[in-house]
Amino acid sequence: MSSRPYHIGAVEIGTSKVTVIVGEYTGRELAIISRAEVPARGIIKGAVVDYRAASDCTHAALEQAERDAGERIAGVFLAQSGGHLEGFYNEAAVNVKASDNLVEAGDVATVCELAKAKQLPLGRSVVHHIRRPFRVDGRLVPGSPLDLVGHRLEVGYWTVHGQEQRLADLIHVIQGFNLKVEELVLSSLASGHMVTSAEERQHGVLVIDLGAGTTDFALYRDGSPHTTGVVAVGGEHLTNDLAVALRLTAPQAEKLKLRHGRAEVQARDRSAKVWLDGNFAIGDRQFPQLAIEQVTAARTTEILEVVRKRLGAAFTPETCAAGVVLTGGAAKLPGLAAAAARVFGVPAHLGEAPGWISPNLRDPGYHTALGLLYYGIIHHGERRAPARAKNSLFAGVRRLFAD
Amino acid sequence: MARALPDSDGIRSWRDIPQPVSPRVMSRGGRWRRLRQTVRALLLAGAVAGLGGLAWFTVGALSRDPARVPDVARSVPLRRLELATTAGGVLDLEWLRRTLALPPAATLMELDLEVLRARLLADPQVVSATLTRQFPDVLAVRLAERSPVARIRVERNGEARDLLVASDGVVFPGVNQDPAALATLPWLSGLALHPAGDGFRPIPGMAAVAQLLADAQYAAMPLYRTWTSLSLARLASDREIEVQTRDGATVVFSAARDFFVQLATLDYLATRVRREPGSNARIDLTLGRNVPVMVTPPGEAAAAPRSPAAAPGRFSLDSFPQR
Repeated sequence: MSSRPYHIGAVEIGTSKVTVIVGEYTGRELAIISRAEVPARGIIKGAVVDYRAASDCTHAALEQAERDAGERIAGVFLAQSGGHLEGFYNEAAVNVKASDNLVEAGDVATVCELAKAKQLPLGRSVVHHIRRPFRVDGRLVPGSPLDLVGHRLEVGYWTVHGQEQRLADLIHVIQGFNLKVEELVLSSLASGHMVTSAEERQHGVLVIDLGAGTTDFALYRDGSPHTTGVVAVGGEHLTNDLAVALRLTAPQAEKLKLRHGRAEVQARDRSAKVWLDGNFAIGDRQFPQLAIEQVTAARTTEILEVVRKRLGAAFTPETCAAGVVLTGGAAKLPGLAAAAARVFGVPAHLGEAPGWISPNLRDPGYHTALGLLYYGIIHHGERRAPARAKNSLFAGVRRLFAD
Repeated sequence: MARALPDSDGIRSWRDIPQPVSPRVMSRGGRWRRLRQTVRALLLAGAVAGLGGLAWFTVGALSRDPARVPDVARSVPLRRLELATTAGGVLDLEWLRRTLALPPAATLMELDLEVLRARLLADPQVVSATLTRQFPDVLAVRLAERSPVARIRVERNGEARDLLVASDGVVFPGVNQDPAALATLPWLSGLALHPAGDGFRPIPGMAAVAQLLADAQYAAMPLYRTWTSLSLARLASDREIEVQTRDGATVVFSAARDFFVQLATLDYLATRVRREPGSNARIDLTLGRNVPVMVTPPGEAAAAPRSPAAAPGRFSLDSFPQR
């Protein structure tokens, strides 16, 4: 692989902000050389509702990131979220062809092809085919099944698909800046890869990414993504609930949420009140602390319960030994880990970026963009050179990342 | 029965969504990037074309005028000559060095290959010469040589010189030739040599003579070995070649007829006709199936004046027509 630096932009077009992180990839190393954050407009729950506004803010972020990096972005890895994304599981099995019952490459290709062959409804496009581990005669094979002895080879794919127009809208926003989308990555997979270790994914872990407009989740089992999903409810709904309950404007409610919101009710004193601004200016008012906590906790619990319900039988405390990891901008809400632990019945904690990530990028709001960069590079390399994957430099990056 | 696989490629992926958008929906930044990209591509194409043109011009200029080569390229002295000759070639490196007469410590780029080639071609033994510079310090020479098919004796200023004649009629002194091989070549007589420069003009009609000699060597080697000289006196006028043999016979070949048939006839006659020792015979193969054979008895043969074709021809340049 060439050692000429390749500049990749990881773009997350969220409901509240557009984040761009520029990475310089040399084929051996990835260095983050700039970041830009611009308030989002024209985006609701991960979908473009005003193309021009969404385009302007995204392009402003890209321009700023390029300016700070001093380099031109060559390609974009784009995060994908939104309520239109759905997933289903499809599996296939083949009888091993060889007379000596050794699994061959042809068997693997056939079973993978069959498992991915499920037709989609009209107007839907595949975003990800996530392969679950192979099984040879019912025996779980975490790696490659090649040359193992068995009669029956099985594999399953978790297929994530979305509405084509919505996918196209986001892609066209990027293309409007004359940039090509190289990879489209599910937000939950991007952030999940960033805040969990290989061991956690092997033991089973649930990653919940609470954004402003959506909540993305990814359940990992046996080292790979098992189930993913998106709930079209996020931190903005907490703000909206507060605004309705306390008769506030959205900015005021947002301010109250950030200062006094909690995912679990902690206040015991019904008379305890908090100031809206605290600067004694005209119009500054007091609100009951308990009411604020009750509103935010109720909505947070509801979101978590919806996630649990969406996971259904896929999630059990036994198969999720590493617990729940929370990330995303709304995950900074105090008490969220305790609320998640209560809802899911497993330990929960806030996700943290690996130690080698720069301190100014350790905020949970950047986890998706960071994960996008790393996950995108690994999977872009796999897709481009599947035959060389074993010995390629991408494999080196993947191993480093897995550690 | 083999199960047909569903066409998973038929399932639409996000990659199937066409990415390019109309410039109308592009932002100003996007259009600016696109313009830059186009200009860059054009500049790159121009640069590639320019470099190609420059390379073409440089190669052309250098091949026309080696003096334009930069000093660096001229600084390495010539260290080695490489000689390759065609099959049967006898010219060697010593001859090459002598003929090229290169100045000591000459560099490869200082050599004028055209001049050197002219020096090589000045030797009539050389048919063609190709000289190639092999950087940094080798001059490779590839030669095609003439092979002698006959000999001729020339007398100039009272001094006799034996020269060689090639199949194309070119007369040359012969360098590094094997004397034993030369001794087997027949002499030519009955022709006029016309001086040209330091040598002579090619002998006309030599192609037919060379063909006769080649056919004789191929089909009738025992007969060929007895041939001492060939007279071309009547070649131009009658298309006849007179061959004088070692045993005193004269064989007349027709250049207008197939030499193989004539050689076969001669071979037949040689086995059938018995002559007395010392007698002369004249065998005329020019008349087709009728072959007049005239035998002169030994007594008359001794009294008869010796045919000029029986010995190496002698020519006086004074008698040659002026050019």
